[in-house]
Amino acid sequence: MNDPVCPAANASSLAPAFEAENLCKTYKGGRAPALDHVTLTIPRGVIFGMLGPNGAGKTTLLSILCGLLRPSAGQVRVDGKDVRYEAACIKRVLGVVPQEPAIYPTLTARENLGYFGRMQGLSGDRLEERIRACLEIADLVEVADEQVNHFSGGFKRRLNLVIGLIHEPQLLILDEPTVAIDPHSRYFIHQRLRELHAAGVTMILSTHILEEAEQLCQEIAIINQGKIVAQGPLEGLLRSQRGNCIEVRLESDPPDSLAATLRQLPGITDVLVMGRNFRIVTPAPDEVVAPLVATLKANDMRVLSLSFGTASLEQFFLSRTADRGAS
Amino acid sequence: MLESFAKLATSVAKESRIILRDRQALILFFIMPVLFVLILSLALRDAFGDRPGATFPVLVVDQDGGEVGEAVMSAFAGSGHFKVERSGRPAPDIAELERAILEDRYKFVIMIPAGASEQARRRVEELAANAPPEMLSAQPVELRMLADPTLRLDYRTMVRAALAGTLQGMEMKLYGRQLEQNLKAMGIPAELPHEQNGTRIFAEVRDQPLHSGDKHIIPSSVQQNAPAWTLLAMFFLAVPLSVSFIKEREQGSLFRLQTMSVPPWVVLGGKTLPYFIINQIQMASILLVSVYVLPLLGGDRLDIGNAPLALMLLGASASLAAIGFGIAVALFARTAEQATSFSSAVVMIMAALGGILVPLAVMPPLMQHFAMISPLAWGLNGFLDVFVRGGGLTEVIPEALGLLGFSAACHALAILRYRSRL
Repeated sequence: MNDPVCPAANASSLAPAFEAENLCKTYKGGRAPALDHVTLTIPRGVIFGMLGPNGAGKTTLLSILCGLLRPSAGQVRVDGKDVRYEAACIKRVLGVVPQEPAIYPTLTARENLGYFGRMQGLSGDRLEERIRACLEIADLVEVADEQVNHFSGGFKRRLNLVIGLIHEPQLLILDEPTVAIDPHSRYFIHQRLRELHAAGVTMILSTHILEEAEQLCQEIAIINQGKIVAQGPLEGLLRSQRGNCIEVRLESDPPDSLAATLRQLPGITDVLVMGRNFRIVTPAPDEVVAPLVATLKANDMRVLSLSFGTASLEQFFLSRTADRGAS
Repeated sequence: MLESFAKLATSVAKESRIILRDRQALILFFIMPVLFVLILSLALRDAFGDRPGATFPVLVVDQDGGEVGEAVMSAFAGSGHFKVERSGRPAPDIAELERAILEDRYKFVIMIPAGASEQARRRVEELAANAPPEMLSAQPVELRMLADPTLRLDYRTMVRAALAGTLQGMEMKLYGRQLEQNLKAMGIPAELPHEQNGTRIFAEVRDQPLHSGDKHIIPSSVQQNAPAWTLLAMFFLAVPLSVSFIKEREQGSLFRLQTMSVPPWVVLGGKTLPYFIINQIQMASILLVSVYVLPLLGGDRLDIGNAPLALMLLGASASLAAIGFGIAVALFARTAEQATSFSSAVVMIMAALGGILVPLAVMPPLMQHFAMISPLAWGLNGFLDVFVRGGGLTEVIPEALGLLGFSAACHALAILRYRSRL
């Protein structure tokens, strides 16, 4: 019942922002584990992209990091503190921006900020100052006293974002903060996130918009079927992908047998098929191009585009989650 | 701890603000129950038939004009339940009387034939002279009764029994008079007591209502309706309460609160305390309207007894029971629609079973037995303890404990469900 006494923030400031070790979570009645021995370290001061297809386990992982779900096994430390024993202290330094605008529609923007600010333990002048600052960050000063149910989707998302910032958290979890909004509002939110990054705030950004992750994140993890399938600095991951694959886009749907035919070509180690897109994995792309094009022609397949030597995050993501995409 | 209480106060203020901005909900919470009590107390006041004002119009067609007619008239007029009219000679015909009943001008018509008093006197004279039955010239006097066919059978039986009692008294009187005359004829002076105060053998049966205080209140429709609709209004609040919880869950604000350093009891208290206060305002407004407004509209004034603490205990217990139910529904229902339909259906069944829609008193014994599984019946019984039976705090403790137990069971279910989701 007593309000927790938390150690000063600098006591654990050298620890990574988030650490998960052998984290497992199985839901009652679930066929497969939602998280399967996930080990993850998120350093301070980065925007960390948490990527994965729907149902991969992202929300479960984020819920455990927030202290909302108990893991079945494994350890989680946030800001150097164990979530099992120091959840209350963690919540004080952690801000969460849920996917759907978690706001009260019949309250005004100012009332929403005031309510959640008080729930974070703010009061008096400090609260007023934070409300003002958040309204300015979200550029909502002019509509601060209007009921939120009159707001556009973009305005709601901006308010949703700044409610997560009301107590000036040093760690921030953002779950799809820009989904279903117009490009202007998205750009606006991206700018605010860059400013927060510049101010030293550590962020976990869960998103399906890979372009967004590519623009904002310094590090990423890709989670698929409850497992981390890739993790590290974004540049390094893309560099590792560069040069060992050829991307082919065909004009028409290929026959089912084409992938097997291509796999038999010398120098090709794997072929991934996603509709009309083929990824040819090879250690020597230059030598494989000519026989590849010849084989496609022999199978009456016209090539729309062919590229090698570069890899986008989207390509990287698709390659790591291909089994799900193909299925 | 202090910080948590400050957060609780903030949550209560936030929830109150949200409720106050919902005008439809306010009408539903406060205006509807009060209107129900006013309308039903006025509409059903005669159905309870327990006050001088609740009268059945009766026509006594007295073609006799003698003491039989007098006795019947005074028996009905004295009961307070009948508004008696007398029609002398010439008598209207049967068809006309039937029409008068079907047109709802009278509930009963009692017909006393011409010469009834004289015929009764002669029959007593012959019977007193020990005349054999075949020699009796005066036949038994036959009174006839017409009754509204829509009336309940027990009302007809009651009127027939009242008539039979009156005629039996008449017989005794005629026999006594005859005996006096016979004794006088034999030279024995006799003066039997005649209808004088203090000469009756059996005193009038005293209808003693059960009570433990100094109140002797006859239940009236308002005493049934006021607590019944208070309880229904209170339990119906479980619907918006559960919907409000589910909406917060769907909107994500509940999730957001869970990510903050806010104890669960603050979230729960902040949500439920305003509804508890609404419940108390509902009860107070219904009672005040029943005491002060209903009489102005021609209804009975609600006598709320003299145990305010007992009423407060019942109000608080019923509210906690309703809130517990609402929370349990919120935890088990997946959508607001599911919560609305489930909780309103359950509340209506509990109300029907618990004597809210149909008073327990008119239910058959088996149903009265079943009624006791409904928490609304416990609450209603508690209120009737105070309003009708003159009970106080001690008398309502069993009902209050029942309601608090129901609340605790609902909360326990909700906690189990909540934990199973973590």
